[in-house]
Amino acid sequence: MPQKFTPQEQVGEKMEKQESGRKRQGDFLRLLRYSALRVIALFLAVVVGVYLMILIANMGGYVDEIRRAEIAFNVAQQVRGSPEFADLPEERRREIMDSMIETEERRLGLDQPFILRSVYYLRDALTLDLGRSENLTSDAGSRQVRHIILERLPPTLFLFLTAQIITFFAGLFIALTLSRQYGSKLDKIMVALAPTSAAPSWFYGIFLILIFAALLGVLPFGRMVAAPPPDDTLQYALSVIRHLILPVAAIVLGALFLSVYQWRTYFLIYSMEDYVEMAKAKGLSGRKIERRYILRPTLPPIITSFMLGIITVWMGQIVLETVFNWPGLGRLLFQAIGLYDTPVIIGIIVIFAYLLALTVFVLDFIYAMVDPRVKVGGEGGQST
Amino acid sequence: MTRNNEQFRVENLYLSFSTKRGIVQAVENVSFSLPRGKTMVLVGESGCGKTSLGRAILRLLPRNVKEYRGNVFLNGQDLMQLSNEKFRREVRWKKAAMVPQAAMNSLNPVIKVSEQVIEPLLRRETKREKAGAMKRAEEVFKLVGVPLDFLERYPFELSGGMRQRVILAMALITNPDIVVLDEPTSALDLLTQANIMNVLKRIKQEEGYTFILITHDIATSSELADLAGIMYAGQLVEFSEAYDLFREPLHPYSQKLMASVPSLKEEKKLEYLPGQPPSLLEPPRTCRFAERCPERFERCDEEPPMVEVKEGHQVKCWLYK
Repeated sequence: MPQKFTPQEQVGEKMEKQESGRKRQGDFLRLLRYSALRVIALFLAVVVGVYLMILIANMGGYVDEIRRAEIAFNVAQQVRGSPEFADLPEERRREIMDSMIETEERRLGLDQPFILRSVYYLRDALTLDLGRSENLTSDAGSRQVRHIILERLPPTLFLFLTAQIITFFAGLFIALTLSRQYGSKLDKIMVALAPTSAAPSWFYGIFLILIFAALLGVLPFGRMVAAPPPDDTLQYALSVIRHLILPVAAIVLGALFLSVYQWRTYFLIYSMEDYVEMAKAKGLSGRKIERRYILRPTLPPIITSFMLGIITVWMGQIVLETVFNWPGLGRLLFQAIGLYDTPVIIGIIVIFAYLLALTVFVLDFIYAMVDPRVKVGGEGGQST
Repeated sequence: MTRNNEQFRVENLYLSFSTKRGIVQAVENVSFSLPRGKTMVLVGESGCGKTSLGRAILRLLPRNVKEYRGNVFLNGQDLMQLSNEKFRREVRWKKAAMVPQAAMNSLNPVIKVSEQVIEPLLRRETKREKAGAMKRAEEVFKLVGVPLDFLERYPFELSGGMRQRVILAMALITNPDIVVLDEPTSALDLLTQANIMNVLKRIKQEEGYTFILITHDIATSSELADLAGIMYAGQLVEFSEAYDLFREPLHPYSQKLMASVPSLKEEKKLEYLPGQPPSLLEPPRTCRFAERCPERFERCDEEPPMVEVKEGHQVKCWLYK
């Protein structure tokens, strides 16, 4: 039936179009406002987290006492051990020692009260002005904390993102497959395996190393590339991939089964919704029903659970990288803690805080994208 | 819109489910026929199998189906002979559509209304096909009285009544030969119910659709009905012209049912029916209604046949044999 519009209706349509254009602009502004608010909120969270970290890393100022004692001890050693002070009278020597201690304390800023300095620390930390490390150096030889961290960040991100992407897509695929054959043997096995995710990924890492590196000798024990690293780019890449397999497998093993179990259950619940039944009645193909009527509406809760998983894995990264000798941030943190290298520790925590905030921010956005009910800008629509 | 005057016909339809506690006989030996452009109302209390019957027509069956047999003819074609895949592709929504019981929740919350409504029309999802489908969607939206800009909204932005209308529009979009309306108004308030019923009445008159209206609300459905069937415990116990059935019901159950409906025109004392319908888990071999029947006699221990009392008025009761 051809549709004839009266002029009035056409005008109405035009207005409608204009309105939708305006609406789009409004949407964009709302989006901006929403992002700004999210950034501020997340930044505040980072500030609080980092400040707490500074307090803890300095043991609420007690580390200052330790460092003062250390300075006094060093100066005393220096003065006693040096022949040039040997024939000075005791009082003069005391004076010299006091002035040396004072100079050293001022150099390290210990003459100011801790609370004041903690605020400076916070400012420096947040602006990534991370100062110099006390003991650690970067592989290139720099003592700048920023350089040390930037050197270690890419391997961590590389390992982490690879593992997460694999977990997400493999998990989604397996969960969907299982939900299709709910109650089958395979399904029962996967459900039974779900509790294995209670063990952290590094735990699996140890076993993987034992089996594939120690026993079978097919894969390397750890590190990111072979030593010495191959010159050829292709060879280098292949070597990295070989070294990547075990740690990625460890992370995936540690997270996959629980995710699959969880997501499969979501799929099962969501496939009982009335609109799925409706889609069947509409004669849509099985694939289409699965994609549009089961997967799409189930994505928001899946993304939430995945987000929580990511945060857990960020934390587990520390031990995992140590187990695999992976030159990333986690292992750096482990080393820094061993050496009481406070600037490096704080630097890493700051970076972690920023990464977490970024993760949350990105996922907030994805969430708003996949679920129209999550309205940006606070005017949330309700759902039934 | 021209329609040939062929019929929709169900013959000896059986549907049962196997459950942990035994076999549930949801639909048993149901037969009826329906001319083009007419509306049949299927009345019965909760759990009498009327929804199962509606779903059986569209072959929307749960996993635990035990027995599903009989014949369903649409335009002279026996739908039961089609394979599942063929049935899905050729019959569902192309020839037979339905408005389900929980129409409120029958729209996918994360997909725009327009996309869901035009879906049954799309085969290859080309741009041109979509544009054509959108045109048709606008037509049916106008038909059921939904503002066109609702097409670009998400389901949660619509009220319950509007959602119901959208579902109705969706059911009409392919111009199907038969539409099963499964309690289309039961979740709505009275005013909205009346609105929807008026829409249905208008569509029926103007466009000549064939409806099967499943309901337990005799009063509202009587306005729409040409034919009426009464279901009791999985069986069709009476089937006739709606006017006849609502005026002079023959089956004791139908009589009791009609006596329980308030009427505007006359003063009457409403009656009620004591007892409960038999469980569909291994139902009795007797007349299903025997236990509650006020006019029970010896023969009621046997199952009665469907008796044609007069032209087009059938009743499943020994009283008329």
